[in-house]
Amino acid sequence: MTLGEPIAAGQGSRAELSIDFDEGFDLGKLQRMLQDARDLAGSAGETVSTLNLVAIYFSQAAYERARPALETAARVHPCRMVVLIAEAKAEPPAASARVAAVRAAGTVALERIVLLARGRAVRHLESAMTGLLLPELPRVVVWGGRPEGPLFQHAMELGDRIVIDSGTRPLASLRAVAQLLARGAPIGDLAWARIFPWQGLAAELLDVPSLREHRSRLQSARVVCAGDVGAEGALLGGWFATRVKRAKVELAIGSAPEVDSPVPGGGDGPPGDAPMAAAPVTRGNVVELQFAAPPVTFTLRRERSILIAEVKGDDDGEVVNRVRLPPETPGRLLSIELKLLSGRDELYAEAAQAAARMDLTRWTSS
Amino acid sequence: MPYAPEHDEVPNPLRPGLRAETPPDPCAMVVFGASGDLAHRKLLPALYNLALGAHLPAAFGIVGVSKSPFSHQEYADGMREAVGKFSRTKPVDPEVWRDFGAGLRYVAGPFDEDDTFRRLAAQLEEVDRTRATRGNRLFYFATPPSTFPTLLKKLHEHRLIRPRNDSRFTRVVIEKPFGRDLASARALNRLVLEVMDEKQVFRIDHYLGKETVQNLLVFRFGNTIFEPIWNRQYVDQVQITAAEELGVESRGRYYEEAGILRDMIQNHVLQLVCLTAMEAPVAFDADAVRDEKIKVLRALCPIDTPEAVAQRVVLGQYTAGQIGGADVPGYQVEKAVAKGSRTPTFVAVKLGINSWRWDGVPFYLRSGKRLPKRTTEIAIQFRRIPHSLFGEGASAPNVLVIRVQPEEGIALRFSAKVPGERYRPRTVSMDFRYGTAFAGAPPEAYERLLLDALKGDQTLFTRKDEVEAAWKLVGGILGVTESPESPPPFSYEAGTWGPREGDALIASDGRAWRRP
Repeated sequence: MTLGEPIAAGQGSRAELSIDFDEGFDLGKLQRMLQDARDLAGSAGETVSTLNLVAIYFSQAAYERARPALETAARVHPCRMVVLIAEAKAEPPAASARVAAVRAAGTVALERIVLLARGRAVRHLESAMTGLLLPELPRVVVWGGRPEGPLFQHAMELGDRIVIDSGTRPLASLRAVAQLLARGAPIGDLAWARIFPWQGLAAELLDVPSLREHRSRLQSARVVCAGDVGAEGALLGGWFATRVKRAKVELAIGSAPEVDSPVPGGGDGPPGDAPMAAAPVTRGNVVELQFAAPPVTFTLRRERSILIAEVKGDDDGEVVNRVRLPPETPGRLLSIELKLLSGRDELYAEAAQAAARMDLTRWTSS
Repeated sequence: MPYAPEHDEVPNPLRPGLRAETPPDPCAMVVFGASGDLAHRKLLPALYNLALGAHLPAAFGIVGVSKSPFSHQEYADGMREAVGKFSRTKPVDPEVWRDFGAGLRYVAGPFDEDDTFRRLAAQLEEVDRTRATRGNRLFYFATPPSTFPTLLKKLHEHRLIRPRNDSRFTRVVIEKPFGRDLASARALNRLVLEVMDEKQVFRIDHYLGKETVQNLLVFRFGNTIFEPIWNRQYVDQVQITAAEELGVESRGRYYEEAGILRDMIQNHVLQLVCLTAMEAPVAFDADAVRDEKIKVLRALCPIDTPEAVAQRVVLGQYTAGQIGGADVPGYQVEKAVAKGSRTPTFVAVKLGINSWRWDGVPFYLRSGKRLPKRTTEIAIQFRRIPHSLFGEGASAPNVLVIRVQPEEGIALRFSAKVPGERYRPRTVSMDFRYGTAFAGAPPEAYERLLLDALKGDQTLFTRKDEVEAAWKLVGGILGVTESPESPPPFSYEAGTWGPREGDALIASDGRAWRRP
């Protein structure tokens, strides 16, 4: 988290308009609605946008689940948000749109256009979206489905960057992501952003003057996840393996989490009400990272919202650091990912590929 | 602070490429003046917000030191109340406070007694044990300047200031004013550098912690379109205004000693001049940025003779008037202000910079208390177009305004055609509001600066030579205006933009002050 990110920013004023079409969209009408929405929001016409944020979902329910996260991120990164909801199997064919302008402190800081298509109308989504993007600005695609298939491929071509959350998918899908990354795909991953504090603290331990001598003797690492191994655990293990090539990296399952969640990561609160405490540990979250340079072991352990680092086997076994975990809601993580608007995160690409090379079906119990 | 490997050391294999922000190293922070206004209103709320945003290391403790007799718990309770009242985020998060409050300690005692420092040293050892702060120290002097020498001496005598090359860091943050003239600033610098290294000293000017001030560097050096016109070829004048609605309130005693030149010009306003006028630094690091700022200060035309002061400086003092629909008293009747006081509460200065870039471009500075509104801005006024196609006077000069406070942002004034009418231009303003464009609560200046001090980043703190160069200019003016022969400041009614003579200063150049 960067200094100055919103801690509890309030909602700006907003106005939402909606319209139903038959099977296709009418861009002229949509543009007029957008202007009406701006007028309703009370704006004098000033708009601030730093990017086009295209979010793609395959059901309205999935979008509604993701909506608070998108809005949280949009408060930090003013944008034109175009949401595409493609319900290809729904009948009868239909198209509709909702348009909103959200104003904050006198300026329209979020323009949101939600395009919903059912059945055959799905084929019109892409061309409608293309006509709604702001010129010149970077395009970041938030992909709400499985990270595979021709549609995903197309989304990657469209965007300067594509953001997924492999933490919400079966672990095996990390392999498909790794293959795309190997081909140069500009993918960002919320599961990766979740492990930043672990990486930072692990690196910090090896910066402690009295512990630097152990840098060259690191031999193994063990990542323990709560209840099940999730993508973030695999990515943390993959990261360590790429950074310390000689190290043997092991993934392990620890005891079940305090709060069970259908998918790792949990959800955002309502927009404007982002919780400040770190999210509770959920299934698949990393709870421990241990690495060793015998006889010294470095242990990073999560205790609720604190990461505790301990070093044993060195001259003294003191607790050398404790770090408060920042809130890990998808909205905040997405805000972090949106700081990189184009190009690849090489470290992530290497870590995901290393994770994919690990045996993701066998792990030990802790 | 980014880690730089030593010569023969194996690099940290886990460090390269990390996007995670590294929190500061564990640290015990000592606040001298812990029961004072600054600690209550700014420092503790800023530290709490850093904790709330997960920017502080968990291994962190605060030891407050002042004369008032509090227990640890009484102090913690008082600080919680202060944070609840003055924090930019409300209400206080009980979970965050539990950890934060548990790290608060208090030592009561006068600063000139050894016993105070013996107990402080013992308290710090306790904090190291219980909060794992590893012997790292950040001392913050939130006290009157008269206490600085005593604090430095006692900290040194009690071996609480460790050398720079010690594995445990010691840093000292010193509040303004840093001295009251060039001689006293030099003396204080000497004293400081007798007991520590310049790299351990953080002279704070909270203006530099403001987002817009930092954005000025990004605006100038992160874009290509402004720098080519940022010079005497295109710029007609620069106006910097730092205006306050408030009077001296309860700070009459301090203000009688300081006056507007010491309170605002020597530090805040000259820092804005530096950031506006400096060349691009070779890198964005503390010394490279400060190297360029010092060149600006050294290039300032001296104002140290009665003639130069008469031509370039106007001082004023407010009388009773009205602000915001209410009556306000004159300076002479404010609490702790001497009858017949000659302390200036307003200043207008015409500054020149002897450099290739700025030769001949006046920098008009204006600062005062009891002005019509609270505003700080830098206005770059460009030259008029050489020939008007649309009628005489039809096109006003372009102005770029950088608003420092309130409503931080940047506005560009330019001419546009009035729709429908035949080539009739009108001046319009394109307005960028920083807080809106990047929605969310921007950090308080003290949050940014405290975090930088904890990380050891001196970029936004003033260096010894900067302080002395700023005093050289201001000291030159003070040498004239504080002499017994000097006339008293001109009077101005509270709620106006200063004395008429201030308008005359700029009018004699054929220009006028902006009305922010």
